[in-house]
Amino acid sequence: MNNVIEVKNLVKEYKELKAIDNLSFEVHEGEILGLLGPNGSGKSTTINCVLSLLKTSKGSIKIFGEEMKPDSYEIKRKIGVIFQDVAVFDELTVYQNIDYFCGLYIQDKVTRKKYVQDAIELVGLQDFVKFYPKKLSGGLLRRLNIACGIAHKPKLIFLDEPTVAVDPQSRNNILDGIKKLRNDGATIVYTTHYMEEVEILCDRVIILDKGKILAQGTTEEVKELAKIDEKVTVEVNNLDSSYIEKIKQNSNVDEVTYTDGVLLVKYKEGKNNLVDMVEFLKKENIKYNKINSEKPTLNDVFLELTGKELRD
Amino acid sequence: MTVFKTFLQVLKKNKFIVIMYTVILLIFGNFSMQSNQSSTNFEASKPTVFIVNEDKEEGITKDFIKYIKEKCDMAEIENSKEAIDDALFYEDLSLAVYIPQDFGKDFMEGKKPEITIKKRDSYYGSLAEMLLQRYIKVATIYQKNIKNEDELVAKINETISKDIETEVTTKIDTSALTKAARYYNFSSYSFLACLIYIISLIISTFNEEKVQKRTTISSYNYKKFNRILLLGNSLYAFVLWILYVVMSFVFVGPTMASINGLLFIANSFIFVICATTLAFFIANFVKNKDSINGIVNVIGLGSSFLCGAFIPQEWLPETVKIIGHVFPTYYFITGNETIAKLEKFNIDTLMPVIVNAGIVIAFSVVFVILTNLVTKKRRKV
Amino acid sequence: MFLHNFKYSLKTLFKNKMLIFWTFAFPIILGTFFNMAFADVINKEKLSIIDIAIIDNEDYQNNKIFKTAFESLSDENSEDQMFNTKLLDEEKAKEMLNKEEIVGYLKMQGNDPKLVFQKNGVNQTIFKYVVEEIVQRSSIVENISKDEIKKQIEQGNFAVDAESIVKRVINETSNTEIEFENTANKNLNYMMIEFYTLIAMTCLYGGILGMVAINQTLPNMSNKGKRVAVAPTKKGTIILSSLLAGYVAQLLGLVILFAYTIFALKVDYGEHTGLVILLAMIGSLTGLSMGVAVGTLSKKSEGAKSGILIAITMTGCFFAGMMGVTLKYVIDKGMPIINKINPANMITDGFYSLYYYNTLDRFWFNVASLGVLCVVLITISFLSLRRQKYDSI
Repeated sequence: MNNVIEVKNLVKEYKELKAIDNLSFEVHEGEILGLLGPNGSGKSTTINCVLSLLKTSKGSIKIFGEEMKPDSYEIKRKIGVIFQDVAVFDELTVYQNIDYFCGLYIQDKVTRKKYVQDAIELVGLQDFVKFYPKKLSGGLLRRLNIACGIAHKPKLIFLDEPTVAVDPQSRNNILDGIKKLRNDGATIVYTTHYMEEVEILCDRVIILDKGKILAQGTTEEVKELAKIDEKVTVEVNNLDSSYIEKIKQNSNVDEVTYTDGVLLVKYKEGKNNLVDMVEFLKKENIKYNKINSEKPTLNDVFLELTGKELRD
Repeated sequence: MTVFKTFLQVLKKNKFIVIMYTVILLIFGNFSMQSNQSSTNFEASKPTVFIVNEDKEEGITKDFIKYIKEKCDMAEIENSKEAIDDALFYEDLSLAVYIPQDFGKDFMEGKKPEITIKKRDSYYGSLAEMLLQRYIKVATIYQKNIKNEDELVAKINETISKDIETEVTTKIDTSALTKAARYYNFSSYSFLACLIYIISLIISTFNEEKVQKRTTISSYNYKKFNRILLLGNSLYAFVLWILYVVMSFVFVGPTMASINGLLFIANSFIFVICATTLAFFIANFVKNKDSINGIVNVIGLGSSFLCGAFIPQEWLPETVKIIGHVFPTYYFITGNETIAKLEKFNIDTLMPVIVNAGIVIAFSVVFVILTNLVTKKRRKV
Repeated sequence: MFLHNFKYSLKTLFKNKMLIFWTFAFPIILGTFFNMAFADVINKEKLSIIDIAIIDNEDYQNNKIFKTAFESLSDENSEDQMFNTKLLDEEKAKEMLNKEEIVGYLKMQGNDPKLVFQKNGVNQTIFKYVVEEIVQRSSIVENISKDEIKKQIEQGNFAVDAESIVKRVINETSNTEIEFENTANKNLNYMMIEFYTLIAMTCLYGGILGMVAINQTLPNMSNKGKRVAVAPTKKGTIILSSLLAGYVAQLLGLVILFAYTIFALKVDYGEHTGLVILLAMIGSLTGLSMGVAVGTLSKKSEGAKSGILIAITMTGCFFAGMMGVTLKYVIDKGMPIINKINPANMITDGFYSLYYYNTLDRFWFNVASLGVLCVVLITISFLSLRRQKYDSI
């Protein structure tokens, strides 16, 4: 497996703040790598350093096996970047925007025309080519933003939170588009703080906080890191605290909480837990409304690792 | 209260604008104040002259120079071609006179030596030329008969010193009142700029879509909301007005405490009311904060140029004056000009002032009605 | 690449409404205002016919000298008409004086004239000088005639024809005309300065174009700039082509403004067309480099940067005489350093020297000053532009 990006011992310091603290990771060819972390964890800074926009304090960055520098035009030609904030010209139409940015990579007019058309189709903006960005809804604007970054058919794509504040329809469109890009052979680095997207989309995940890697591996591997294996929630009214003590006696139970009529039980191992719970409730003659069982999510992993919710 | 707080925040953020227009008023005030000192006795207007004398300063040449210095003000510039040319261009100088070498000697010999001048084609330039011509003319006539230089000089002086009885009827210090009128005329620009700019910013902050939705569904009715905003804006306008009135006392001096001065103050108060309502009206049209700067400049400068805030109304071409009638500023300035000339105060003499002020008030009423119409319509959509 | 970016830079600049307003529309609007307000100022300063009145009494009717003098000075068919004279009774004259329909009136009391004015002023002064001159002329006639008669008597001629002597002397006096040669340049219309400041303003407002153009290419200034920075293009090429687009847009604005001021407003730029173009070009280059400097050195928002540029420009134009030509002269004379470093004045003064001066020293001095300023601003910007990576973006 080839490494498209190799980052070694990367450090980025602002005056007092260590934004990136000795970061090392690789991105493999053809994969979608999820870069996860709360706001301010260093995701965007990492990308900006990799792209050679920011000065780094220490460390080495290689892309396609070569050192990345501001004038590494051959490397840059193969990269597409979609930044977090929408970066398009309000004065240009959808078509002109894509054509402008694509033109920075592709000189040949005929090829460019075809590429721009492909990009418009990929994000589904066919009906809006003559629109100005001000007239587009938030979701459509995000799609335009993406089209501007990938029109030149890059081999390596950075997507920095492309789905923030996007309606579900556009989000699905965007996620489908990303999958398509990967299927066409591109390698993708995807930052987000939406767990669901990572679980649907990414082959591998890196969890960042305060500039450090907390965990990395495939989604399954990362989930393993959670101590728990199953969560059972029961909606039940007026549960006596003595029952909670009883539940805790089960050696498989890690934690029990009861708030606002919802009983939450976390199990270390995930076998027959739901059945056990139903039997327990029957035995004790407790009336309940709803009961269900979940596997842990990345959010739980993150909560485990950092003690805070990912989506704050 | 929240409305008021937001108000202060916007004002604080943009204090630079208010300071800038106030400073411009200060500088302008300071400049236009340098007009002639005046009294109620007759005083000849003196053109400013510069003398370049290449002759020896004696005899008739000396007397000629003495005569010029008596009848004219001397320009305080250095004796260089560039300084003279610049001064002439910018009207710091009405005329420069070049007395050639051996002028006195040639003149006594009856050779009619040529004096050259540089002058502009203005009242003062013509006046200066007339003064110079008179001396040379008298001298030339007498020279034919009188060959003794001292005798000639004595005779010239005897003739040109003949004065005539002059009476000036006005009993008021017109120049101080002219100053006051100029100051208040210019203040219309600063008022408009400061009021439109700040009020538009404040209103557009409140009108921004999200905020507007909240105010529309809140229990405020639009009239009450407008009234609260109008109150805040009025308070700001009032403070600005007080500031400018105080500044006028500093510039013009005790004249401001006379009846004329108080009329200026009252007239400007009415104008400030009108400017506030106009600002309020414009503000409700402004959709984009970036465009405020443009609107302020076009309306502020436009009404000031066309109504005579920058240069006296009497100097404006007739057609421009007619166009000026569409702005309330025009009536404010006409009012100021009338006040500056008032000597007797009775219903007849005050009528023009009252009529002009009335028109300004009528403008204000129209602006208030239009603002209410516009906001009412917008809320229904 | 150069052309691609150039083409799109132009498109974005021309689509930006705020830019178009400040660099294209605003100068034309302001120029129109100037023209409307100042059209008559220069003419109204010229000596025009003065409205006066004379009290129609016996003393006036009997005074031949005054009567003939005022009749000739009030002759509507004469080129030298100075007064528009009305013969009135004193009551009526006073009324007209109060309404300022006349500047003053003359009343003969015996042989002595008396002048009544409402207030002091230039017209009043001129009226007074004319009356003085009539008095003085009769005094001259009297003096010379007396001397002449005395002389003739001394020479033993006792049959003096006094009347013919007086006639001859009157003739002689009124035929003595004194004319001075006026060597002043005829281009004395100081209102032209207003229009020159307008050109200066437009040149410097071009800074906004430069600022916007360059900020679109810088990753530390805009998101679009980040896109440009990660693209495989040379930074220098992109910056140069964006700036060239800004400059072209600016020059186009100037061409429109020049056409408008020359053909519609009849502004006179003097005779050196080539030098006028040179000055406009280097002036707008100065504006552009000012925009680049503000654009690269300040981290504020685009709106705030335009605000800074507008403030600098307007302050500069204020000192260069836009709100009153006198101010330029006062600064030039009293605090020359302010206007020596004021780009708005360098441009204004350059046009002034082309219009008014016969020599070009002053013009070249202004052009050189602008050149130096350009170099300084571009050097400062270059130090910042040279960076390829940033500490923070």
